[in-house]
Amino acid sequence: MFRYVSLIVKNSLRNRRRSILTIGSIAVSLCILGVLIAMYRAMFQGMPTEAQALRLVCRNRVSLTQPIPIYFRDKIQRIPGVHDVMAWQWFGGVYKDSRDPNNMFPRFGVEPDHLFNVNTEFQLPDDQKLAFKNLRTGCVISRALADKLHFNLGDRITLVGDIFPVTLELKVVGIFNEPSNVDILYFNREYLREALPVDSSQRDTVGAFLIQADSPADVPRVAEAVDREFEATPFQTKSESEKAFTLSFLAFLGNLKLFIMAIFGAVTFTILLVSGNTISMSVRERIREVGILKTLGFTPGAILGIVLGESAVISIIGGAIGCLFAAGMCSMIAHSPGSMFMPALKTLGITPLVGLLSLGVALAIGVLSSFVPAWNASRTSILEALRFSG
Amino acid sequence: MAETVIQTKQLQKEFIRDEFHVVALKDVDITISRGEFVALMGPSGSGKSTLLHLIAAMDRPSGGEILVLGENLRTLSDRAIAHWRNAHIGFVFQSFNLIPVLSAVENVELPLKLTNLKKKERMEHAETALNLVGLGDRMHHLPRQLSGGQEQRVAIARAIVTDPDLILADEPTGNLDATSAQDVLTLLSRLNKEFGKTIVMVTHDPHAAHFATKSRHLEKGELLPEGQVPVDWTVPAKA
Repeated sequence: MFRYVSLIVKNSLRNRRRSILTIGSIAVSLCILGVLIAMYRAMFQGMPTEAQALRLVCRNRVSLTQPIPIYFRDKIQRIPGVHDVMAWQWFGGVYKDSRDPNNMFPRFGVEPDHLFNVNTEFQLPDDQKLAFKNLRTGCVISRALADKLHFNLGDRITLVGDIFPVTLELKVVGIFNEPSNVDILYFNREYLREALPVDSSQRDTVGAFLIQADSPADVPRVAEAVDREFEATPFQTKSESEKAFTLSFLAFLGNLKLFIMAIFGAVTFTILLVSGNTISMSVRERIREVGILKTLGFTPGAILGIVLGESAVISIIGGAIGCLFAAGMCSMIAHSPGSMFMPALKTLGITPLVGLLSLGVALAIGVLSSFVPAWNASRTSILEALRFSG
Repeated sequence: MAETVIQTKQLQKEFIRDEFHVVALKDVDITISRGEFVALMGPSGSGKSTLLHLIAAMDRPSGGEILVLGENLRTLSDRAIAHWRNAHIGFVFQSFNLIPVLSAVENVELPLKLTNLKKKERMEHAETALNLVGLGDRMHHLPRQLSGGQEQRVAIARAIVTDPDLILADEPTGNLDATSAQDVLTLLSRLNKEFGKTIVMVTHDPHAAHFATKSRHLEKGELLPEGQVPVDWTVPAKA
C-alpha cells in the first residue's frame, strides 16, 4: 500500500477547495473532540497525587451548602486510621471589583495548625507558617495568586462577605508553592468565627472537614467509619475521597460524563455524515479512473485501499490541525478563571495519549465515512466504470 | 507455425439492456497468432469493442470458450484476472484515460506499482517507455499540459511499460487529428514490427486498418470470414 502513497496524496488534494473545506470541518470537529477527550481525561481519569490519595472530604449528606457542627472535628480525629482533620470553610465574598474575573479566586477559612499537615504538598517556609499560626488576621496565598495579582508579604487583602455578614481585613503572611498551580487563599477560620455576631449559628458550624488518612488503603474504611459515627445525628455526613468529592462537586452541573459523551457522539456522527457525503461525491466524480486502474491490473482490494487511504489522508490532516487548535483551547481553559473551581482543568492539555486518541478518532471517521463509497467503487465493473462520463 | 495468442470458439456475449435481449457476439471463432497486428472492423454495434473487452478479460462471455495466452479466462477469479491483465495486457483507450493529477512519467509508472520493482527501477522503465514513444522531454508534464496526440502516446507508453504480450487498442485514433493519428498508428506499427508485439486494434477507419497486418470484420455480432466485408460496408469519409 505504501507504493500508492503518492497517488493517494495527489488524489486527496486534487480538488483543493473541497479538500480545504473538508479538512476545515474535520479540524473544527476534532478540536471540539480533542478538548472533550482532554476534559474527560482530566476530570474522570486523572490519577490522584500521593497527597491527594490520602485525603477525604466530609460534608453534610444533604448538600455541600448545608453546614455540619464544628464539634464533629474531635470525634473524627478519634476514629482509627485518621491522621489529621481540619475544618474547611468556603467563604466566597468579594475582593475589590467582582466584575473583574482576576479578582475571583477561592477563599477558605481553615485551621493554621493543620493546613500544612493535611496538605503536605504545600511548601511554605517555617517562619511564614509560624506567622500564619500566630496572627489571627493573617492569610496565606498560593504562588500563582501572588503572581497574578502581584501580592507580596505584608499586603492587605479585604474580603467583603456575602454568605457571611462580615468584612475580613487580612494580611498576607505567607506565600506557598503547590504543584497544581491554583489561585487560592487560606485564612484563619477562627478570625471568621470571632467576626460573626455572637448569636450567629454560623459560628459553630463548618462547611466541611478535610481529613488526612494514615494510608490510601485506610481511605474507604475511614469514610465509612466517619459516616457511621454521625448516622444517628441530625447532621448525617457524607465522606469521600478528595477525587470523588471533586467529581460530586461537578455533578452539581448535571451528569457531566453523559453530557460530554453526548456532545462527543453528536459531533462524531455529524462529521461522519459530512465526510461520507464529500467522499461519495469525490469517488463518484472519479469512477471512470477506477475503471482505468482496474484495466491496468489494480485489484478491487487495491482500489478499496486507495479510496480509504485518500479519506484517511484528509481526516488525518484535519485531525492534526484540530489537535493543534484543541491544544490552544485547552491552554486557554486551563488559564481561565473558571478553572480555579475545578483544579483538574488546570492540568487540561493535549497529552500524547489524548493526541493519539484524537487522531485515532479522525482516522476512524475517515475510514468509516468512506467505506461504503470505497466498497462500491472497488466492486464496480470496469465497463460500467469506463462508461461513466462524470 | 506461429504460436496462438488468442483463440475463441463459439464465443457468445448476450446481455439485457432495459427490457431488450441483446446479442452482442454470436458464435465468434477467431485465432490470432503471436506477432500479428489485427484490425477489428465493423460498424457501430457490430460487437468489435465487446470482443476486445472479452479478450482483455474486462467482461465475461455468456458462452463459448476464450483462450488468451493459453489461459482460459472463464475459470479465473477477478483477482487472478487483475494480476493476469497487469502482466500480459497493455490497453490503449480512445480517450487516452490518463490520471489527471499524475505527470506523464507517473502515469506510465502506474502499472509497475503492481510489480515487485523498486521505485528507481520503476522510474527507469517508465522513462524508457516514454523515450520510446518520443516523449522523453515531456516526462513531468501533466496530461492537461500535453496535446491529444502526446496524451495518446503517453497512454501507449503506459500500455507497453510492463512489456506485455498483447496490446489491445480501442479506437486509438478516434479522438485525434490526422497528423497525431498518423503518429500513433506509426508507433503501433513500429511496436509490432520492431518489437514483435501482438496488437489487436478496434477501428472503423480503413486508413487506420492499413497499418495492421490483417483485418477482420464483424457485423451484427458475427465475425465474417477472413477477407469478407459487410455487404453495406461503406468507407467512412476521412476527416
